[in-house]
This record gives sequence, structure tokens and C-alpha cells, in this order.
Amino acid sequence: MRSIVLQHMIDNKDHYIEQWRVSFGELLFSRSESTIKPQYIQDEMKEEFVSVIFDTLTMDRHSRRAVVKRFAERLIHDGWVVSEFIMSLQRLRRIVMKDLSNHYDKEKFVDLSGELEDWLDEQITDLTTEFAKNHEEVKAIQNVALKELSAPLIPVFDKIVVMPLIGTIDTKRASQIMENLLDGIIEHRAQVVLIDITGVPLVDTMVAHHIIRASEAVRLVGAECLLVGIRPEIAQTIVNLGIDLGNFTTKSTLKKGVEAALQMTHRDIITNEEPVTGGGLN
Amino acid sequence: MSNHSCIEIANEWGIVSARQAGRELSKEIGFGSVDQARITTAISELARNIYLYTEIGKIDLEEISDNHKNGKVRGIKVVASDKGPGIENLRDVMIDGFTTSGGLGAGLPGVKRLMDEFDIESIPGEGTTITTIKWLR
Amino acid sequence: MRIPILKLGRYLLISVQVELDDQTALQFQEDLLNKIHQEGSLGVVIDLTSVDMIDSFIAKVIGDVVEMSSLMGAKVVLTGIQPAVAITLIDMGVSLQEVQTALDLEQGLERLQQELGG
Ligand SMILES: Nc1ncnc2c1ncn2[C@@H]1O[C@H](COP(=O)(O)OP(=O)(O)OP(=O)(O)O)[C@@H](O)[C@H]1O
Ligand SMILES: [Mg+2]
Repeated sequence: MRSIVLQHMIDNKDHYIEQWRVSFGELLFSRSESTIKPQYIQDEMKEEFVSVIFDTLTMDRHSRRAVVKRFAERLIHDGWVVSEFIMSLQRLRRIVMKDLSNHYDKEKFVDLSGELEDWLDEQITDLTTEFAKNHEEVKAIQNVALKELSAPLIPVFDKIVVMPLIGTIDTKRASQIMENLLDGIIEHRAQVVLIDITGVPLVDTMVAHHIIRASEAVRLVGAECLLVGIRPEIAQTIVNLGIDLGNFTTKSTLKKGVEAALQMTHRDIITNEEPVTGGGLN
Repeated sequence: MSNHSCIEIANEWGIVSARQAGRELSKEIGFGSVDQARITTAISELARNIYLYTEIGKIDLEEISDNHKNGKVRGIKVVASDKGPGIENLRDVMIDGFTTSGGLGAGLPGVKRLMDEFDIESIPGEGTTITTIKWLR
Repeated sequence: MRIPILKLGRYLLISVQVELDDQTALQFQEDLLNKIHQEGSLGVVIDLTSVDMIDSFIAKVIGDVVEMSSLMGAKVVLTGIQPAVAITLIDMGVSLQEVQTALDLEQGLERLQQELGG
């Protein structure tokens, strides 16, 4: 059986929507994130919110939740401020409460306001749970992306992969990079890895130490490392600090590195006499 | 409930048992494959030293936890103890390449690098106790 | 426990599938050298894909085996060293500098063929 309050709201739907719309103005879309959106989109959103709340009154708990879930997803996706929607739900509470107190005697009113609270709590809970869940998911995805971003491994040719290092390399990142590197080598069956340090602002003894360790580990799993992207100032610091990269094949640019890697895997880039279909790689 | 096991090292089979127990416990605690290999290897080094340089000893493995600033952290504690001859010069044995047995001399300094905490207590003529911890990060 | 050694033409193939205790490792060292002598093998591939830990003792046995084989005229390639094992070895300060490596058995054989010319 549907509760008296819900029935009451369904019966007086148009009246409530009318009143609620009036108070929307000051509540919904007051934050800058919302106000930068075009007016017509704001209006659309308001109407959708109204229908999410009022159309679901006749549904069971399960379908209601599905609708709210979809709405919350859209809020997050389009970057709306969820707290504004929750505040405006509180406003709806006030409107309905006031109306209930006019229609029913005190005793009945207490019962009904309890029912109203339950219904509202449910809406707010569903909205915020969805939001929190979604937020967590987004965060988890971002974390994974960040991890991969900090040490991506790019297959360029069969058996050749490039790992561009960008930013500062501390011990924690270094071990993450090493694990990514080794797992990637196995995954791509790579024989040569080009470690590109063009994007590393500073190579001190610590960074050099990490790079040397990584290249030794790479050799143990069965591949070889080439260090590329050595800028003049990096070459200077390496020598001035007395860092021994003796066992390392190094190249100034990625392009030269790729050429060397192709040679190491017994391949060559050849230029065809005339343009033909198919690659120039053998 | 804390997870605890003790493996006696009296022969070289003890080395295998100790590292198998170590791998199992570290997996159970939730260590990744790289840390599992680190912990297992450290245990193997400590157990082998007991086998090589003393008559008998034991390896204690225990799951531990500690309150860090970011909440509770779990870890594994490995204690290798024996009543052997002890180590005369503690400083020497921690140098890479130092060995009295023709090994690589990578054992003890290696264990120190593999684990997060390393403590060695040795009294010549009485025995040696080495305590190491790896935290789950 | 003995580690089986397979013969493939002038090469020997070994895939280590058992937990490497000290005795097994030493027995393997002896068996391999005998086999190289017996067969006059030119190359050896030792596949370590299933090995989940190499401590300093096993590292020494492996390093010795490579050196001894090369004294007997056989080139050794180690294959399939797992990332976790490689990282642990590096942490230990054991980098097996003199040892040749390849990703897997197939690439190991390729490598031998390239170096020994067919
Ligand atoms: N439990 C022990 N009791 C007495 N002496 C020990 C003990 N553990 C180690 N030592 C001494 O410390 C030395 C260094 O040990 P460490 O494990 O670092 O190298 P190793 O055992 O000689 O070689 P590796 O471990 O590389 O095979 C040993 O040679 C031995 O003399
Ligand atoms: Mg030792």
C-alpha cells in the first residue's frame, strides 16, 4: 500500500511542482559551476529533476532507485553541483510539510511528517550514495591512469618498446616504473626498451642509480635497454658527477635510438625507389 | 589473531620449508609478487646462514601490525635465531662481498636492502639473532 | 630430485620446474657439465620461467654453471627470469653481469643460433 503522504503528493502534484519551481530560483544553480551553463540547459535540468522526483512517486522502491541512479550519473557526468539538488529537496520538504499541517490534525500530522521524512531520506540517500560511488569509481580510474601515465610503455615496432620518463623520479616512482617496465617487456615480448629521459628535468646520482638498476633488471628478464633523449646539460651533469654509464648504450635522440634498436633486432629501415604499398620495413 | 609459525633449521630441507612458509604467509598478508619474492629470498638467505655457520637454529615468521599516520599497516616479521658461534665483526659482514665461505657475500647486506627494517644482535660464542620486518605499503 | 636435460641437436634445453633446493641445484650443475662433455654441446638454454625465487646461493650456482660451461665451450643463455625475481636479484646486488639472457626458450634458442651461426 502506498503511504498517505505519497498519495497526497500525487494528488497535489501540480500544486507542489508549481510552488517548488518558484523556490528553485534561489537554490538551484547558484554556484558558479552551474551558472556558467547556458540558461536553457539549466531549465532543462530543473524540469528533469522535477520529473525524477514526481514521476517516481508512483513507482516501487526498486525502479525509483534506478531512475535516481541514472539521474545522479548524469549530474556527475555533466558536472552539476549535487548539494544544490539536495538543498532544493529540503525546500520541497518545507512546502509539503506546511501543506500537510493545513490539511491534517496534529496527531495525524506527526505520523505523516514521519512518512515524508522517510521518503525524503530515501531520495537523498540514493542521490548521494550514487554520487559517492561514482566519485570513488572515477577516483579509482584516475589512480590507475595516473600510475600508467607516470610510466607508460609504448610498443613502437615489433619487439621494440619505448618508455618515456616524465617528471621527477623519486624512489617510490622508480620502483613503480621498474615494475611497469618489466611487466611490459614480458607482455609485448620486447627485446629492446628505449628509456627516453627527455622529460626528466634533472639527472643526479640517485636518478642515475635508479636507471642503472632498471637496465640491469631489464637485462635479467632477457631484453636490452637503450637510454635516449640525453640533452647537453644532462650529459654535463652525468660526467661532472662522475656517474658511470659505461655499460649503457646511449643516444641523443629517440629517433637515433629507434634506429639502433632496429639494428639490434636485425632490421633496417629502407627507402623504396618508388612508392609502393606495404611497409618499408623488413 | 596473529599468524605465527616457527621453522627449525637443522639441515638444508629446513631452508626450503622456511621459504615456502614465508611465501605463503606473505601472500596471505597481501604482499604483491615482487615483495613476496623479496621476503622469500631474505628468509632463504637467513636460513642458509644458519645451516652453513651454525649447528641448529630457527626462523620465526609472524604477521604484525602497527599504527601509522595513515591508519593500520600490516607487515611480516622474520626472526632468525641460533646458538652458534656468533659473528665477530658485525661491521664486516654487512659489507657487500664479505664472505667466510666462498659465497657471493650478498646475503646479509642483501637482506637489509630487501626488507624495511633490519636488526642484528650477536654475541661471539653465544649466538646470533637477526630481526627483519617488511611493511605492506 | 633431478632436473631433466633435453638434447636438441647441438644444444641442450633445461626447463627448471621444481623448487631449487641446494642439493638439486648442485646435482644439476654436475649433470649439465657431464652432458655437455658427453654430447659436445655448443649451446645451452636454461629456462627459469617457473622459478619464483633466486637467492645468493642459487645465483652463485647459476653463475658458476655458466662460467664452467663456457670453459667447456658451451654458451649458456638464461631465459624466463620473472620480473619479481629480477628485481629481487638487483636489490641483492647480484646482477649476473656475465650471463646472457633472453625472454623465453624460443628467443633463447634464436639467440644461440645467431651467435653460433646456425
Ligand atoms: N648465523 C650466523 N652465525 C655465524 N656467522 C654468520 C651467521 N650469518 C652470517 N655469518 C657470517 O657472516 C658472513 C657474511 O654472511 P652473508 O650471508 O652476507 O654472506 P655469505 O653467506 O658468506 O655468502 P652468500 O650469502 O652470498 O652466499 C658469513 O660468511 C659468515 O661468516
Ligand atoms: Mg649467506
